[in-house]
Amino acid sequence: MGEPMDAQKTTKRLKANTALREIIAEFYTDGHRAKAEGRPVGWIPPMNGLIELFYAMDIHPIFPENWAPVCAAIGTNRQNFAACAGHGYADDLCGYFRNNVGYALDGIDAPDQPLGGLPKPDFLISFGAGCIPTMKTFQVLCDHFDCPVIRADLPQVAMEDIGEHHLRYGVAQIKRLIAFLEDLTGRRLDLDRLSQAVAWTDEACRLWDEIMALRAAVPAPFSAAEIGIMFVMVTRHGTPIAVDFLRDVLAEVKERVARGVGVVPDERLRLFWDNIPLWYNMKLFNYFEKWNAVVVAETYTSAWTLRMDPAKPLESIAYKSLVSYPLVSCVSLEKRLELIRKAIREYRIDGAILHSNRSCKPISMGQLDIQRMLNDELGVPAVLFDGDHMDGDKFAFAPFQTRIDAFIEMLLERRASAHAPNP
Amino acid sequence: MWSIRNVTAGGLSTTIREEQAVAGCRRRRETAWDGVAWRDAVANHPDLLKAEKARSRRTLLGTLCAHTPVEIFHAFDIVPVRLWGAGADPGGADPLLQSFICPPVRQIMAMGLAGRYDFLDGLVHAYSCDAACGLFNIWRRNLHPKFAFQLSLPYMDTPEALAYAQVEFRRLIAALETLTDRAYEPERLRAAIGLYREARALLRRAYAHKRQDGGPSYADLYRLSLALQVFPVETVLPWLTAFDAAADGPAVAGDAGTTRLMISGSLCADEALFTEIAALGGNIVLDDTCIGYRTLLGEAAPEGDPLTALARHHLARPPCSARADFPARRAYFREQIEAFRVEAVVFIHQKFCDPHLADHPFLKTVLEERGIPSLQVELEGEGLTGQIRTRLEGFFEMIGKNRP
Repeated sequence: MGEPMDAQKTTKRLKANTALREIIAEFYTDGHRAKAEGRPVGWIPPMNGLIELFYAMDIHPIFPENWAPVCAAIGTNRQNFAACAGHGYADDLCGYFRNNVGYALDGIDAPDQPLGGLPKPDFLISFGAGCIPTMKTFQVLCDHFDCPVIRADLPQVAMEDIGEHHLRYGVAQIKRLIAFLEDLTGRRLDLDRLSQAVAWTDEACRLWDEIMALRAAVPAPFSAAEIGIMFVMVTRHGTPIAVDFLRDVLAEVKERVARGVGVVPDERLRLFWDNIPLWYNMKLFNYFEKWNAVVVAETYTSAWTLRMDPAKPLESIAYKSLVSYPLVSCVSLEKRLELIRKAIREYRIDGAILHSNRSCKPISMGQLDIQRMLNDELGVPAVLFDGDHMDGDKFAFAPFQTRIDAFIEMLLERRASAHAPNP
Repeated sequence: MWSIRNVTAGGLSTTIREEQAVAGCRRRRETAWDGVAWRDAVANHPDLLKAEKARSRRTLLGTLCAHTPVEIFHAFDIVPVRLWGAGADPGGADPLLQSFICPPVRQIMAMGLAGRYDFLDGLVHAYSCDAACGLFNIWRRNLHPKFAFQLSLPYMDTPEALAYAQVEFRRLIAALETLTDRAYEPERLRAAIGLYREARALLRRAYAHKRQDGGPSYADLYRLSLALQVFPVETVLPWLTAFDAAADGPAVAGDAGTTRLMISGSLCADEALFTEIAALGGNIVLDDTCIGYRTLLGEAAPEGDPLTALARHHLARPPCSARADFPARRAYFREQIEAFRVEAVVFIHQKFCDPHLADHPFLKTVLEERGIPSLQVELEGEGLTGQIRTRLEGFFEMIGKNRP
């Protein structure tokens, strides 16, 4: 069992969290406002270049995959799981799938939902890309909601193998989608607006990289406990909202670095986190602080390490759609290892925590290779623990504690030996 | 016959080149399985392929999905060998894969780590599911095959997808040219397409007998489907021809069961399950699996550019759970259960198999709408367990009670 809910308040240090809470609430309010005003609401899979297209066409995007962490944080995930099981879906399926299917099929009509719940879709995009559970989630949604659907297709290609024809095919899919959206809205896409949306995304990605790079500072200005800031990278790409927010975050983080303000007063260990956080227990990131240990880098936050070209908006959003998923999954294991090697060096990592996540096979596969690479090649100890990013019943805190305590103690001893004067 | 334009190429007319290619493809050559009865050959295929590798040094490539274009391999004289784990202990994969990865993927990895696939020169994955993709990458990193290739094929039948699929195939061809030091010859690909068309047509005829009231045992159909996926097509063709000649004759050992049953799932490769179902009164007339009937449907056209024909064939393939959408799967499922007059379905799911677990509720609804009973069993890498046997017994008992 996970920790009881009352014990799960996460300690966050960035002042930007106040603005973030408003941005989150406003995103969902805006969805309901769009619905009321007759602006289309489209439900789409995460991590692709469709969002820029949506905002350029005044369409409000809804990401069920982003709604799932919200449900986990507020505790409605359990009732969504139960609803999903009631429709015959197996407990072994990904927690995002179980939450979103349960919510869409039953929970969406419940009264008094946090953040007002999700506005129902006016159309759906079923995109044959990303992981199987995401693809399947949208197939269930397409089956359930009585609304127009566009099915699209995007091949899964390892980062290092992406070629001209992959991009060309991606652009062809985007053009099909544009025709669908134009037909749906009765309006032509303004390419200048799309270029502007792409420019905002590009700037958001640049700011994101700059913010993440500042975490290399010792002491680290913030930890993985603040990773909720990625909300704007998922939901507000293609808008100045993400850019303005990230500029403020950057300024705050720069200031913390300049003043030498860390997460803990005396940072002793710098940790790396692999895989999705436990959304129902973000306080886990605070757990390490009792040893003055801080999670300073993650694989998951690398999903937005990309650049887009406003002069080539269609190619840019096709490229974003092609790379976002392979960047963090096992589609490109060698690329992922390369990314981790780089992070270990740049962030001066002492040890790595690998979340073996039952809800996410694509990110969990390859973790034993990662662990071996860290230990054997880089001499950085890594520990693997069993968990689940959505389902607290599949995470046991006591074994986690036992394993992590021993691991951190070993890291501290290692550090002490390294700093001990030679006899 | 082929549709051939009478142009010359390289000093030979296209007609002559193609005839030579067909003859070359069909050429009977010595193999490690000469004299071995086909059922034994299928059962012992890893050992026989290993012996063949040692004997002939022929190139053998492992494949992970039914959508791998085997004809292309054949055109390069490469034997494509479908991998599905073959009953290995999945625990052997523990050093590289977590326990919540599906049993077949763990079993394939376990066999790879144990050296059971050392005869392979490499691995090819036509992108199907997350677990197979992970397996491909982890295999490549840890077993260092001489050749590793991931095809990323499209899933929709559009003009852009056709153009894209051809480029992906050409990418594979270029890699195989480097591997074999041999130039791609369209005539050889056309010949390979012809051979596979012939073989699949023969196997479909065997299923057609099951569609009626007779036909061979399902276990034999399953073995022959596998044979076509692990042995060279020219080896399997004579087996299929002989089998076809006898397929509906009085001497054929069919299934005695009376309930016309379909099995559905991904890699259903536990013969003991089929035997148990037959013993309980089930007559498996059809499968909806990744290694069965679906692999036999559709044809690459024998005429025109063979690569285009193969790409068209790929785009029109029957919908699989890993990539197709619900409407396509639902329509296919309905068509097949009607065509084969299916009276009951056993879903044989591999634990943790996302594509099939996610499809199960809507497929079950299709059956409920028709009053067709179904049972779901989950395999955990141990084949037919006592628990599964008990559930099957209960299922058949229920069917028996509900019969008019």
